[in-house]
Amino acid sequence: MNDDKTVMKAWTRAQSRLGRRLAMPVVLLGLAVAGVAVGQVWCVASILACVLVPGGTKVAAWPLAGLVGLAVLRAALQMGIDVLAARAGMKARARLRGGVVDAILRGGPGLLRNHHSGELTALAVDRIEALDGFFARWLPASVLWVAAPLVIGVLAALVQPGSALIMAACGLAVPFGQALFGIGAAVASRNQFLAMTRLQARFLDRVRGIATIVLSGRTEDETRRLAASAEELRMRTMKVLRVAFLSSASIDCALVVALVLVALRNGAQIMALHEQGVPATVMAAHVARGLFVVLLVPEFFAPFRSLALAYQDRAHASGAAAAMRILPDAATARAEGQALCDAGQGVRVAFENVGFAWDAARGATLEDISFTVPAGQAVVLWGPSGSGKSTLIEMLLGFIQPAAGRITFNGTDMAAIDPAALVAITSWIGQKPVLFAGTLRENILFARPGATEAQLQAAVTAAAADSFVAHLPHGLDTRIGEGGFGLSGGQAQRVAIARAFLKDAPLLLLDEPTSHLDPETEADVFASLRRLAEHRTVILASHSPAAAGFGGQRIDLDHGRIVTSGEHAS
Amino acid sequence: MKSTENREFSRQARREGVLAPVLQILQIWQRRAPLLTAGALLSLLALLIGLLLMRAAGLRVAAMTVGMLVVTTGALRIFGASRVILRYTERLVTHDAMFRALADVRVWFFRHLARGAAAGLGFRRAGDLLSRLVSDVEALDGLYLRIIIPLAGALLVLPFLFIAINMVDTELALVVSGLFACGAFGLPLLAAILGRREGGLVSHASAQLRIGVLDMVGGLREIATFGAEGRMRDHVHARDAALFRAQMRQARMLALAGAASYLCGQAAVVAVLAAALGLGLPRIAPLPAAAVLFLTVAAFESVGGLTRAGALAGSITRAAARVVAVGAMPEHAPPEGTEPAPAGTDIRFEHVTFRWDAHRQPVLDDLSLNIAAGERVAILGASGAGKSTLAALLLKVVAPEAGRITLGGQDIATIRDDDLRGRIAWLSQATHLFADTIRANLLLGRPDADEAELWAALEQARVADVVRDLPEGLDSWLGEGGASLSGGQGRRLALARVLLSRAPILILDEPATGLDARTEQEFLLTLNEVTRGRTVILIAHRLAGVEKLDHAWRISGGKMAGIGA
Repeated sequence: MNDDKTVMKAWTRAQSRLGRRLAMPVVLLGLAVAGVAVGQVWCVASILACVLVPGGTKVAAWPLAGLVGLAVLRAALQMGIDVLAARAGMKARARLRGGVVDAILRGGPGLLRNHHSGELTALAVDRIEALDGFFARWLPASVLWVAAPLVIGVLAALVQPGSALIMAACGLAVPFGQALFGIGAAVASRNQFLAMTRLQARFLDRVRGIATIVLSGRTEDETRRLAASAEELRMRTMKVLRVAFLSSASIDCALVVALVLVALRNGAQIMALHEQGVPATVMAAHVARGLFVVLLVPEFFAPFRSLALAYQDRAHASGAAAAMRILPDAATARAEGQALCDAGQGVRVAFENVGFAWDAARGATLEDISFTVPAGQAVVLWGPSGSGKSTLIEMLLGFIQPAAGRITFNGTDMAAIDPAALVAITSWIGQKPVLFAGTLRENILFARPGATEAQLQAAVTAAAADSFVAHLPHGLDTRIGEGGFGLSGGQAQRVAIARAFLKDAPLLLLDEPTSHLDPETEADVFASLRRLAEHRTVILASHSPAAAGFGGQRIDLDHGRIVTSGEHAS
Repeated sequence: MKSTENREFSRQARREGVLAPVLQILQIWQRRAPLLTAGALLSLLALLIGLLLMRAAGLRVAAMTVGMLVVTTGALRIFGASRVILRYTERLVTHDAMFRALADVRVWFFRHLARGAAAGLGFRRAGDLLSRLVSDVEALDGLYLRIIIPLAGALLVLPFLFIAINMVDTELALVVSGLFACGAFGLPLLAAILGRREGGLVSHASAQLRIGVLDMVGGLREIATFGAEGRMRDHVHARDAALFRAQMRQARMLALAGAASYLCGQAAVVAVLAAALGLGLPRIAPLPAAAVLFLTVAAFESVGGLTRAGALAGSITRAAARVVAVGAMPEHAPPEGTEPAPAGTDIRFEHVTFRWDAHRQPVLDDLSLNIAAGERVAILGASGAGKSTLAALLLKVVAPEAGRITLGGQDIATIRDDDLRGRIAWLSQATHLFADTIRANLLLGRPDADEAELWAALEQARVADVVRDLPEGLDSWLGEGGASLSGGQGRRLALARVLLSRAPILILDEPATGLDARTEQEFLLTLNEVTRGRTVILIAHRLAGVEKLDHAWRISGGKMAGIGA
């Protein structure tokens, strides 16, 4: 746990360092606003002094004009701050999202073994969106709450050192008040933040599974429980807020005390002057100065309030830091080979005493696997689920490496081959192909973006996809995937086959390609797969009886070992 | 399917306008009206005290300069102290009220989701849409805290401001109140109208980004095998950039709105000062001028956030509209019955016709079917042939267009939903495992089951070994941050839950998915044993050959054909 905290703190610190540079313009403009605010207060104080002390100074229009000018300037500066802060938030989010996307792509399919795709998506989208406030509001506020009161305080000290001292003392009391209540609130809120996310996750989970609840006849029960947990969430949150609001009340308190003290001090001074009967001009100057410092008090405390408002943005950063830890860091990228693989004459694949274990405690998944597939030949891996077929295919895809033995392509150790070269010689079709949001054309061209229209059409025809494409509302330009037209399992598999035709790689890996299809569709898909398999090296993993018709060598796997191997009857 | 529903949602939202959904949310909050009102009143009181404090401070400073007796010292202290206390109380009460109100919305939402709209959900609506609805519910807190309370405050401040300044000078009162109305109502309304479009663009762009990332994560295998990492990164990056462009436009608009609102307040300050100097406006006396100045500053401070809130109001009302839309009954939802379930469990479909979409062919066309109590039957057919629809009809998730369905001779339309569903246990393709312990997941099937019964069900579903291997056994946590089961293991757990239930009728939709051929055979053999005496409806696209069945039907083109037993 302590380790986690160190990692989270280090992450937050690193992000703050990177973000502060972007926040610099915002901070500078914020200081400029503080300066303008002092000018505005000076104008108002002069006008009031001139009104309150008749004959003190002649009625001057310049402070009024100055006030108008400064107001417009301040509005413009504030707009600049808003826009620049938004931009700083965006730049930081773009950088973070780029990093997360890279990490996910680097982690590859292996990430999905331990993490739900929704979780990864939430990390790349929502978690990072939630960090906007950290960069756009918290970071500038965390500098300004010291710098801006300092500027205002120094300017106040030039006019009335005593009042500046009062403000400074009250200002210094704020961090103490914050520390007193704030630390309590921070500790409480860290725990509550966790509890809150848990309860929110529970609500989300129950809503996602609502059909299961309803159809189990448990609606009333679950509704009652939901109400109870929402009530618990309220009570827990209120417990935090009771303390958290105290810390902002302490700012209010400091402000009121400073205001009253400064007002009393100036009042007493002016009363004294009044009794002495000083000339109106002297009186007016004193009044102007007194009003100036009184009116400056709220401006002095404004940055403290912004900090208190931005405090919850900081909590998001710790949450995000914790969530980011599931991603692989750049250091874990595996060493990559340099060798090329000449596949001009096809690919011969050989397993030499290969062994592998997902989890050492549960025993080996694959043990002492040796077989050879000559170029252009097929092999069917046969066996119940859990026998190691998919693990074997994963290895050929390069997602995992053998723990023992080696795999060679045309005699070259797979580990020594450049990953890009491996990708180029391999096609893969799994149980359910992923269709991306976009048109059918884009989905097939995914295999080879540079393909010509003729090549695309040839692939569609070869995959026997042309018959169903003709019935789609816009043919190849029909939108499919998320938010588009739904394709059946058999149709989706034909898209995968068309992709493989288009890619035209010499090695074809098929991992249970028909396990989600009904028998008729399965037979059709196998017919297309057999066409695809011509002149290619094929490794097919299946436990469907229909796979027997695929021909080629048959290898029976059980518990990670080869039981028998031989030719298919057909 | 998902996007059509999305579109349906937004179309409905537009039809109902902006106010209707907000009003309905307020209706849900009716029960909390006293507390919500108390919160609003407290906040108004705090605002008033704040105004008085500033007025007193202005008076005091001004009075001293002209050598008047200090009458306001006491008032200043009292106002100061009560302002701090009131603000604290006000924030606590409003937040407490808001959390209670949000809890009510959650419960309302859940109940409505469960009834009607919700029931069809497991069949039709995807989880992602649901997650968005959940965040919509949470977005509603802005409605009370950021819109209703400050608006109510502004409504109180306006007459107060006018009356207070009117005692000094009517012309100035008109100018300042006019500016205040502009800053508190005019600009927020304008921002709301303009912001509706910008907000829509932002939420569209963020949905596009989500789809892009979801595609990327789901397609990691495809991306790796086709070496498409670079292309995918560019793709996501382009959507990211589009989102930022939309957000930037929104940020500019918000900045402009904020500046306009600020300038309104400053214009009022300048007007008061000009009046004090007698420039352009009738001259007012020095003392009242100071009081009016402080009052004006405080009044405008209280509505400073409204313009920004107005610019974001679009997203809150959209969220409200989506949440409220859940309450609307879907077209096929059957009415809630009132009778208890009969003792008999014979099932009869009498000339049942049903279609999901009025423009398509019926899924079931004048279909009749008898399943006697205790029979074991199989319903086969290609995907989309209507096998699952049959289950949906029997569970009263949807109502038939024509014909009727009886259970024990009684039309199921008249039977109470929970009673009916208590008699039928259903294992669907989309059965959900909850992020909870394995025990809690199983007990959903039968809340009073004991340890031995739980293990027996796990044995029957061929998943006991897996659970035994987990370090915490039955108390292992599933889902995020817990033990992760493979898809097949998860389905077997769901099956155990169904087997555990005491329901006399079991509907098993592809129970053997994720099992290899040998385990499937073993499992089906066990199934023959453990379900003795219960009605079993097996839905599958093919038979393994070891099932003991009384009947088997194939469904295609909306009709049933017996294929013998």
